[in-house]
Amino acid sequence: MRIRTLLPVVLAALGALLLVVSVFAGAGSAKAAAGKAGAFKKGGTLKIAISEGDFSNVDPGIAYEVTPWSMMWATQVLLVNYPEKTGTEGSKLYPEGAEAFPTISKDGKTYVFKVRKGLRFSDGTPVTAAAYKRALERNLSPEMGSPLGVNVQLHKLIVGGEAFLDGKTKVLSGVAAKGQVLTVKLTKADPTFVSIMAMQWFGAVKPDTPYTDKGLTIYPSAGPYYIKAHDVGRSLVLARNPYYKGSRPANPDQIVFTANTDQAQTFLQVKNGDFDYDAGAGSPPTEYEGLGATYGINKSRFFVGPITCVFYVAMNTSRAPFSNLNVRKGFEWAIDRPALLRLGGKYAGKRTDQILVPGVPGFKDFRLYAIKGADPAKAKQIAGNVSGTVLVRHSTSIANTNRAQILEYNLKQMGFATKDLPVPGGVYYPQLQVKGVDFDTAFAGWCADYNDPFDFINVLLDGRTIQENNNVNFAYYDNAGLNKQMDAAAAQFGDARAAAYSKLDFDIMTKHAPWAPWYIPNQRMFVSARVKNFIFSSYYTEPAYNAMAIAG
Amino acid sequence: MLQFLIRRLLWAVFLFLAATLITYVIFYVVPADPAKQMCGRACTQEDVARVAHHLGLDRPVYEQYGRYLWQLVGHQSLGTSYTTRQEVNHIIAQTAPVTASLVFGGAFFWLLLSIPVGILSALRARSIGDRAAMVFVLVGVSAHPVWIGLILSYFLGYRLHVTPIAGYCDFFNPSLGSDCGGPVQWAYHMILPWMTFMLLFAALYVRLIRANVMETMTEDYVRTARAKGASEHRVLSQHVLRNSMLPIVTILGMDIGLALGGAIFTESVFSLPGLGRQVLQSYSNFDLPVILGVVVFSTICIIIFNLVVDVLYAVLDPRIRLE
Repeated sequence: MRIRTLLPVVLAALGALLLVVSVFAGAGSAKAAAGKAGAFKKGGTLKIAISEGDFSNVDPGIAYEVTPWSMMWATQVLLVNYPEKTGTEGSKLYPEGAEAFPTISKDGKTYVFKVRKGLRFSDGTPVTAAAYKRALERNLSPEMGSPLGVNVQLHKLIVGGEAFLDGKTKVLSGVAAKGQVLTVKLTKADPTFVSIMAMQWFGAVKPDTPYTDKGLTIYPSAGPYYIKAHDVGRSLVLARNPYYKGSRPANPDQIVFTANTDQAQTFLQVKNGDFDYDAGAGSPPTEYEGLGATYGINKSRFFVGPITCVFYVAMNTSRAPFSNLNVRKGFEWAIDRPALLRLGGKYAGKRTDQILVPGVPGFKDFRLYAIKGADPAKAKQIAGNVSGTVLVRHSTSIANTNRAQILEYNLKQMGFATKDLPVPGGVYYPQLQVKGVDFDTAFAGWCADYNDPFDFINVLLDGRTIQENNNVNFAYYDNAGLNKQMDAAAAQFGDARAAAYSKLDFDIMTKHAPWAPWYIPNQRMFVSARVKNFIFSSYYTEPAYNAMAIAG
Repeated sequence: MLQFLIRRLLWAVFLFLAATLITYVIFYVVPADPAKQMCGRACTQEDVARVAHHLGLDRPVYEQYGRYLWQLVGHQSLGTSYTTRQEVNHIIAQTAPVTASLVFGGAFFWLLLSIPVGILSALRARSIGDRAAMVFVLVGVSAHPVWIGLILSYFLGYRLHVTPIAGYCDFFNPSLGSDCGGPVQWAYHMILPWMTFMLLFAALYVRLIRANVMETMTEDYVRTARAKGASEHRVLSQHVLRNSMLPIVTILGMDIGLALGGAIFTESVFSLPGLGRQVLQSYSNFDLPVILGVVVFSTICIIIFNLVVDVLYAVLDPRIRLE
């Protein structure tokens, strides 16, 4: 080909490419201008992105993560549930599927729920007690593969649970369903049982719902929405349940989740209105300050709310130096909580120095230690002369690496030498769960499975649960007196329970101090311009999707 | 030819076994426990053991690998994801077309750009155009695809609204609830991913084509053709281009085979639900069956494309015998 004819051909090709681009640019949908502020109405499609993540599973007998649970909150009817309200009001259970809270026998072992009449699944089938019995069975059935009920020891709590889990029987003998009446017999009195029933594992499912270790991707639901379509790894669509006549909101016509998006790109797409909210990794942390300055906090598009979690530094009480109570108490004064919190970015959370968090029954803000900043002089005074090297274990994330440096500085102010031990995030907790793992301090965090102080204190600090592996008592603290006190608190109900745990929280931190709690994290949420009626749940750590409305 | 094919197939089997075995071994060196992850946080050791037994993880590594191979060869099954519990075959079937559309589309555009630019550059060596092309090569090779993608999507997508910021539309069957689908929307959403993906390869191919053309132009047969009075057009089309493109065919096959394994960076930036993004997610969840499935698929792709390239090479160049 002659050179002279080649150049025009190249230019023509480039021109053609530009023409193609402009055609598609025209074909692209115009970006909607921000909707007018004002009252919202029902309707429209709510578009939620899940950046850097997905629903690992949406079967209520298998799902065990925040993302599917917050979605299932819109689809499930639980016997008792959390209302779509913000703040501490949103942490108070109310009877949803049940007409009232259960009747409990005098010995505390038999719970009777009367299921509300008139509830229907999205295919029109009425909801009866058998629906809740089936949920319990699916939660403990060995045919489901990794049954989840064992996480809350349901197999030991419900009569016949162990035999059912081991496959010795096909029937969960401790659960009876007759008409609208559900009766559950426990092996021992357990005041956490009602809170446990508020977990998403126990929503009503049709009695003929099969056992499957694959997990169901679509199934009828009795809540305000049901799963209409699910393309695993790509998208999930909720549509309004036509048979739902309850009082919970159902504002959008449908809610579409798009999974596995990029965090930074999703942020731009929320700004642009392509998505309404990112339920995955959320906005990049560097954006929070700007969002707060632009939109204010909890006013229009940027919302901040505490979640039912606590982050702490676990002290290895099984060996020196933190086997010494005075050293542990001294450390509570040495740790610079504000400096640690600043590394989380703007609006990261609230400093704390105790175990329980707001919204959990029994929480009282005690202000026991150095909340406003480190007090190394007091730390030294309480701890006395200290020496030796403290091994600071932390994950290799940037934030935790920087936090470890602060901690090491604080420890040096006490008089210790320090040694840094970074551990890759993927194996950080698996290693920490092994008894005898090498560390003196370790960063850790815990979020509630259910809103009861038992799930914080007993689960995390009962020394009798320490085993060779798979531990969650990261302080490896075992004190017989404290264990008894925990048992006593666990046996209480209602206000007495709250008071007992409040005292326990105080006593643990003042007389035992196995941890240095340092902050209660916030969820920082950014929505598109058209979203109204944003209600955040501190338990689910996400907004109520069924309540979110689209301005129009 | 038959002997050649048989030899290559046997070699392919060996490569396949080596790749899957290495992946298996590496996975087991990593101190993570999928059974513990699936069981939950407060499980007892007994419960974790129960889960491990259900997943078959309590068996020796060699036995697990053997069962995996048997499943693959005997039942054509890549297993089940630990995380989502979906069949890995289904996951690969869903994600592979997305990666294929990125890679093949990108390959088309990078060839469309690199061939004329590379040839022009070679024919007008050291001209302004040639120097501009080399600057383009430098930028294309130096700039990370993630950076390129983010810059393009920010300016073209977010600021100017010329293209979507990110996302993918199905060509044939859009997902329910998706507001996009069909060939036009599919192509519209792929513009930026193609541009991002192709830039690095286009830069490399420009340089490669330029070098090949320049080298071929100095061959004896080209000088002879000119001496015999052949027109410049004939010299280029019949002698130079055909011979200089042969190495491109080889490298193209290899690049496509490798890229099919997962164009991770581009898929991540543009939220394309392809193999690359899938393997990233699976790695963070220690989802071995999916990781292995992608490795198997990539290995097969590389083997097939290399085979196709070898055969094509023999077709293009009659001097080459497949012996």
